[in-house]
Amino acid sequence: MAGKSGRTIDITPRKGKFFRWETGLIFIFIAVIIFGNIVSPSFNVKSVFMNMPKYLAEMFMMFAMGYILIIAEIDISVGSIVCLAATMTCFANNAGLPMAAQVIICLGVGTLCGVLNGEILTHFQELPSMIVTLGTQIIFRGIAEVSMGSGGSISLSDTKGFAALGGSIGIVPIAFILIIIAAVCFIFILSKTTTGRKMYAIGSNHTTALYSGIKVQKIRRNCYILIGAMAGVCAMFMLATSFGANTTTGQGFEMDVISMCVFGGIATTGGKGNLIGASIAGFTIVLLKIVLSLLNISGQTILVIIGILLIVSVMIPSINEQITNKKKKAALAAKA
Amino acid sequence: MSEETVKTTSAGTASSADEDLILELKGITKIFPGVKALDNVHFQLRRGEIHALMGENGAGKSTFIKVITGVHAAEEGHMYLNGQEVHFKGPKDALEAGIAAVYQHPTIYPTLSVTENIFMGHEFIRHGMIQWSTMNKEAQKLLDRLDADFKPTAEMGALSVAQQQMVEIAKALSTDAKIIILDEPTAALTANESEKLYRIVEQLRDSGVSIIFISHRMEDMYRLASRVTVLRDSKYIGTYDVDKITNADLIKAMVGREIKDMYPKPKVEIGEEAFRIEGISRLGYCKDVSLNVHKGEIVGLTGLVGAGRTETMEAVCGIAKASAGKIFVDGKEVHIKNPTDSMKAGIVLLPEDRTKQGLIMDWGLGDNVTLPIQDEIAKGPFKVKNIQQEREISKHYLEEVDTKALTIYDLGSSLSGGNQQKVVVAKALAQKNMKVLIMDEPTKGVDVGAKAEIYSIMGDLAKQGYAILMISSEMPEILGMSDRIYTMCKGRITGCLDISEATQERLLELSMEHGNEEKEAAQ
Repeated sequence: MAGKSGRTIDITPRKGKFFRWETGLIFIFIAVIIFGNIVSPSFNVKSVFMNMPKYLAEMFMMFAMGYILIIAEIDISVGSIVCLAATMTCFANNAGLPMAAQVIICLGVGTLCGVLNGEILTHFQELPSMIVTLGTQIIFRGIAEVSMGSGGSISLSDTKGFAALGGSIGIVPIAFILIIIAAVCFIFILSKTTTGRKMYAIGSNHTTALYSGIKVQKIRRNCYILIGAMAGVCAMFMLATSFGANTTTGQGFEMDVISMCVFGGIATTGGKGNLIGASIAGFTIVLLKIVLSLLNISGQTILVIIGILLIVSVMIPSINEQITNKKKKAALAAKA
Repeated sequence: MSEETVKTTSAGTASSADEDLILELKGITKIFPGVKALDNVHFQLRRGEIHALMGENGAGKSTFIKVITGVHAAEEGHMYLNGQEVHFKGPKDALEAGIAAVYQHPTIYPTLSVTENIFMGHEFIRHGMIQWSTMNKEAQKLLDRLDADFKPTAEMGALSVAQQQMVEIAKALSTDAKIIILDEPTAALTANESEKLYRIVEQLRDSGVSIIFISHRMEDMYRLASRVTVLRDSKYIGTYDVDKITNADLIKAMVGREIKDMYPKPKVEIGEEAFRIEGISRLGYCKDVSLNVHKGEIVGLTGLVGAGRTETMEAVCGIAKASAGKIFVDGKEVHIKNPTDSMKAGIVLLPEDRTKQGLIMDWGLGDNVTLPIQDEIAKGPFKVKNIQQEREISKHYLEEVDTKALTIYDLGSSLSGGNQQKVVVAKALAQKNMKVLIMDEPTKGVDVGAKAEIYSIMGDLAKQGYAILMISSEMPEILGMSDRIYTMCKGRITGCLDISEATQERLLELSMEHGNEEKEAAQ
């Protein structure tokens, strides 16, 4: 039945925007490859894959962090979760538990930490997630440090299992294959399913989401549990390259993954961005780190470069908007 | 067109030369990126006059005020203050020239005291120290002038909206303003508070202040203003003497067309009971609330702001937790723990605040409409979005409520208040098992033309057999649309009147505290 005025509403799908942030990211990604080729003689597919596992572990958490940011939350305890999960797994390893049990403990510790964050934040909804996860960040790392004792570090006694995890199939690292699988799953849920849309709804306006019958607290809790579990996965792949944990394990990871998400176009205010952009951004940063490490540039310098990249990436959209506004105004003034 | 004739007569009254004009604006044009927000607008304010500025949402009233107060600079046009042309570079210039504005949502510092709020930016300072006692005394003087019932040392955040508005007015007076602009001051006030505000405004006028008054409420204008200027679609329509223009003509000037029947209530056969709540209580908000609605019936629920109407319905719909009570739909008891349960039971709440609770403003209309039902039509075990069907469903319902939009991708924020409300209704209609529709202040902030359309949709829904419960503080719409009216006061139901026995006075009486005695008498 059409309206009283006979007005009809168009449903023809709209054409995508001419310039998308993801397109820009692909260009940056290609630029990094070209840059690598020019500056480093040892830059090729094989050397990149060989260096990759060390830098890839964080990306597992990036996908879940994307969800967290999209529902307008934040979790800064993930770095500590990685540390705690890795520490506990080392204890299990040293106790001679089988590899399967070690994996379960690693994922289990991560998940439990996520459950704790999720339960606190859903039972006391007025608490800001930044503060709660800051608290748990200190607690989780504290527990890990206490367990490690005075030495401040712990290492795997049986490295066979984890060495295998850090290995490759052909020249392709296992971590890379799993990252791709994870990317596909996370992107599918976010962009194709109703669950994904609910996350955007919560991030855009959680009150409206609640009034629309979305179980806001359930989704919030699940996102925190998920990122805990992914921190467990990250811890596993950390162990696969470093074979141990110390008090600085995982330090700053939360900021690394948040930067990847923001660089990938996800707004920290929630409801905007997607994981395709974040994935490209993540790979770009990983690749950049590899290139710079091939050049023997120090980790601190890498941080400076990534910081600049991040700021420029958040500036571009706002500059773009200023230009379009000016154009619009000029066009209108010309008409009038 | 008759509009032309209206214009010419108004031009006649406006241009008499011997008037004592304090403020005059001629040919104001303001351009924003993409839109002409004001198009050749004229305005004249006499000394000591209360002048209403009216028009639908988006007509350009707010922009016009911002031009007067120096927030925006106009691209074209002239502004004369006391006969001298002025150019304001910013709000500060306007303030110094004696023009102050009081906005609908007071811009306050909630943690500071009343005194600090009043003198923010122009504190009394001697030897680099703030003179607190002098400032408090001055603030008290200003508050006395307004007959305020709170102290200058009170914390701003602890005051009611009405009191905060008074502080804003005091702030305007503290700068020695000769022109005060009031932007929708009564929107958040109860009838009593509005009456008090009217008296303050009249008192200000008598003391020589000129006032520009913006409001959607006709009663405000009739009560206060001597003249009214109407804007529509960014254009100047005319200036009229309030006692010389009929209500119908004024609405026509604002809306641009004639509205034959404001409350088109169709004759509907009232069916069996569809919705009943028994003894709903929510700690601190309501106690033992019982009411029922039949199929095809529109039941009004009125009371003063703060009577607990919204809070009760939030408890019913699972937004908040009820401490006691039973809910029945079609005679069967339903258990509601969250809004999802409520929707499953067929009870849909249209929340009071469309922009914060009803819609996601930066989403397309289509996605908004299908948000509650996307799971039902999703495909497969992974609940893949069924975009094609979503598009068709949202198109169907958006057209059914006659939304003024071109595509389902238009953003919620691009629509006027009335059309946003229609989208919220479409969102409710898309839920196929809806039986009970609870509308909380369905026309709040909606302009007069869209109001009539929303009433007409309500009538249609009643005809289709939905049970409608309308929470409203606006007496005309409660009396115009309801079949039966409940009144609430302090969290309790104080009365239930059939439309045939309801009058504004009876309803107000029941909404006041002493209405409780009547309830006891009735029992």
